[in-house]
Amino acid sequence: MTSVFKTALAALALAATATASLAQDWAPPGPIQLMIAFRAGGGADTQARLIAEELQNRHGWEVIPENVTGRGGLNMANELRGAANDGTVIGIAVTETLGYNLAAAPDAAMSPADFTGLTTTAGFQMGIVARTDRGWGSFEEMIAAAQGGETIRFGAMSPRLADLAYLLSNAQGVDFNIVEVQGGRAVMDGVNAGDLDVGFMAGIQRAGVAAGDLVNLASGLDVPLVQSPDAPVLPDLGVPFHAGGEFVFLAPAGLDPAAREAIAMAIAEIVQDEGNPAGEMISRAFGGSTVILGDDLTAHLQAQYDQAGELLAAASE
Amino acid sequence: MTPLDYVWAGVLAVFQGPELFSLLGLPIPVTVVMILCGFLLGIAVGATPGLAGPIAMAISLPILISIFGFTPDALLPVMGFLIGIMKGATIGGAVPAILFNTPGTPDAYMTTLDGYPMTKKGQAKKALKVAHFASVTGDTFSDIVLILCAPFLAILVEAYLDLPEKTALLILSLSFIAAAVGGSPAKGLISTGLGLLAAYVGTGQDFYPRLSGGTDVLAQGFPLAAAILGVLIVGAVFHELALFWREKEGTRRAGPDEASSADQRLRVSDIRRLMPYISRSALVGTAIGALPGIGSTLAATLGYALGKRRHDRRKAEGDPGFGHGAPEGVAATEAANSSVSGANLIPVLSLGIPGNTAAVFLILAAESIGGFNPGPSVFNFTVDVVNPEAVIAFGLFTCMILANLMNWTIGGLFMRAMGVMTRVPKQILLPVVLILTLTAIYVQETNMAAVWFTLAFGLLGYGMRVLAISPLPFVIAFILGPKIEDSARQAFAATGGDAFFLLTSPVAALFMALSVLVITLSTRRKKGAT
Repeated sequence: MTSVFKTALAALALAATATASLAQDWAPPGPIQLMIAFRAGGGADTQARLIAEELQNRHGWEVIPENVTGRGGLNMANELRGAANDGTVIGIAVTETLGYNLAAAPDAAMSPADFTGLTTTAGFQMGIVARTDRGWGSFEEMIAAAQGGETIRFGAMSPRLADLAYLLSNAQGVDFNIVEVQGGRAVMDGVNAGDLDVGFMAGIQRAGVAAGDLVNLASGLDVPLVQSPDAPVLPDLGVPFHAGGEFVFLAPAGLDPAAREAIAMAIAEIVQDEGNPAGEMISRAFGGSTVILGDDLTAHLQAQYDQAGELLAAASE
Repeated sequence: MTPLDYVWAGVLAVFQGPELFSLLGLPIPVTVVMILCGFLLGIAVGATPGLAGPIAMAISLPILISIFGFTPDALLPVMGFLIGIMKGATIGGAVPAILFNTPGTPDAYMTTLDGYPMTKKGQAKKALKVAHFASVTGDTFSDIVLILCAPFLAILVEAYLDLPEKTALLILSLSFIAAAVGGSPAKGLISTGLGLLAAYVGTGQDFYPRLSGGTDVLAQGFPLAAAILGVLIVGAVFHELALFWREKEGTRRAGPDEASSADQRLRVSDIRRLMPYISRSALVGTAIGALPGIGSTLAATLGYALGKRRHDRRKAEGDPGFGHGAPEGVAATEAANSSVSGANLIPVLSLGIPGNTAAVFLILAAESIGGFNPGPSVFNFTVDVVNPEAVIAFGLFTCMILANLMNWTIGGLFMRAMGVMTRVPKQILLPVVLILTLTAIYVQETNMAAVWFTLAFGLLGYGMRVLAISPLPFVIAFILGPKIEDSARQAFAATGGDAFFLLTSPVAALFMALSVLVITLSTRRKKGAT
């Protein structure tokens, strides 16, 4: 799926640069407030702050980052929704925030239509990861261990991933003790410390897998992982969903198209260029950029929201 | 990387970090400069009655973060500055105690007992030298214990404690703090309970904001800095202002006795005579410091009592007794209260549990900047992939050693020059502290709601002080509340939904039994005492 978007993006980027005269004239009417839906100091937060700095360097826009955390990004979304839609307030979250998390919180009374998608920056190489010295060389070996009566603690960093882990256990006919933790790093820390046996990791496992300390037992996506192409994908394991997602920049609904294009293109150019600190960090930490823009992004966000309904229904059966 | 490589990487992180400027071609790393600045500021605030290390740490933290940003590079300079303040304030507190009979910090009260009589006898300089020597010795000893113990304790915890045991350990430390701090266990429990209540507003894993009354402003919970600075600093300022109001006439300080006798020097023979007192007090202070929540005041009292008993038996004919200007009294007190500070970081770095206000601010710095989560996972010496947190931890140890070196070399000099700070009048000092605190909060949170929260927590802190409830358990509970909830949820899920997860493993059950025991015992003891 990502490759389709990448080609679409290339075409779109070309088209955008050709018709960008309006967008080029656009300048923010004041300092831009950047609401970050992640805790300070993590990889996601660092990414956002580096992009903010680079926007300032390249375009002279004053960008003021602020962490607005909690409720899987919904606190940030709620604040962003009511903010000025003149390009002076933007936010960064994950696509899951407008997908599963919005769908699972009907009393939040928000939908993807309340937001303007600007651009994604990087996708998740979501793997199901265990420590190598746990003794499982493959996903089947873990399932065999579970069938043999071993208790398996499965770490997940969001309710959506916990649902997917539950569907996976049902499909495989075993029981996992699904442990929800805060933040992607906590899953890796838990697995490394032996508090968890296995867990979803969204790309943070790359160095550990390369070093041989960790192993991708399966891909959490519907496509193979770049690093471990032989690991089975979720649909092969009996789960008709995927755990993928992207970091996404958002603005309130009704943003002026010229502003949308100007901000989105400015960010997309930064994340795709590895010659600046932000692009370099994204390449190192998330294995490269994934940029989805414009109408494709609008459709992508809506599709994630719709799929979330199906996942919620499947997991509550 | 082997553990030794991590130690070396930590040292390099301090010295080869971002450079501030170069002097004669030698790059001067910013961390070292920050430790020095913090250290000098610490001596100054320690020497100012009404100010103490925590206030300086609280005000400088948000300002430092706005200068250094939220990158991992900011951790060592910012925390180095805070460590500098911590060390400086410890020795600074003795200055007004000795010169003017007014302790700059609560811990320095026992120092007045012998320090001020020495001043009256014209031995002010000597008393300051004794205090400095004892303080630095105790502090250094305590740091060495910290550096040797914390990593091993952390590794033991990580190796032997599973999620239920970790939850039980957090509950045990909260019970211990409630029972130990603030005199009465009931008041300690009230303070702890209020802290937990505040911590649970707006947090949790649900998509529905908890305890927010449906308002957006509470949906994100209270900012950590607003709660901590509000209760600890703004509350203290309100309380001091109220006291000042009632006293009407400001406290006028008399100058020190100008007369000075000939013998102001600290001789080797003096040091030999003082060392037994210093070493005993250092041991007592370190042991007490390693337990979360028991402050340096108790250490100072115990160190003084032990020293007095020894002195009464051994003092030569004609030497002054304790309370009449004995240098041994100053040494015993200062060594004990200074040796608390290093050991107090043992539970912080190995378990993530803060034991005193200085540790609270180090945790606040780590949480605000991010990228360093004090706790057992810090000392995970991964071989193939570098664990940046372990590097930071050893960088912090390096900062402490550097601060000690500064203390040994220039600390005494600056300390003796700080007598002037004791003349700052409170009616100027308090409003300045208040404004600086609120500005600092606004700089960090960039919204007015945080300022209102801070003022509200300030009123709470004021009320607690009026009712003689210690605000420290509140703050520690506020920090540990989310951790307890997280680890309890995880333990519950990991044990497959076992509702008795805190009681099924023997270690967890033991911790829970101890929690109950600590509270009941301290309640009984108080009843017996009154």
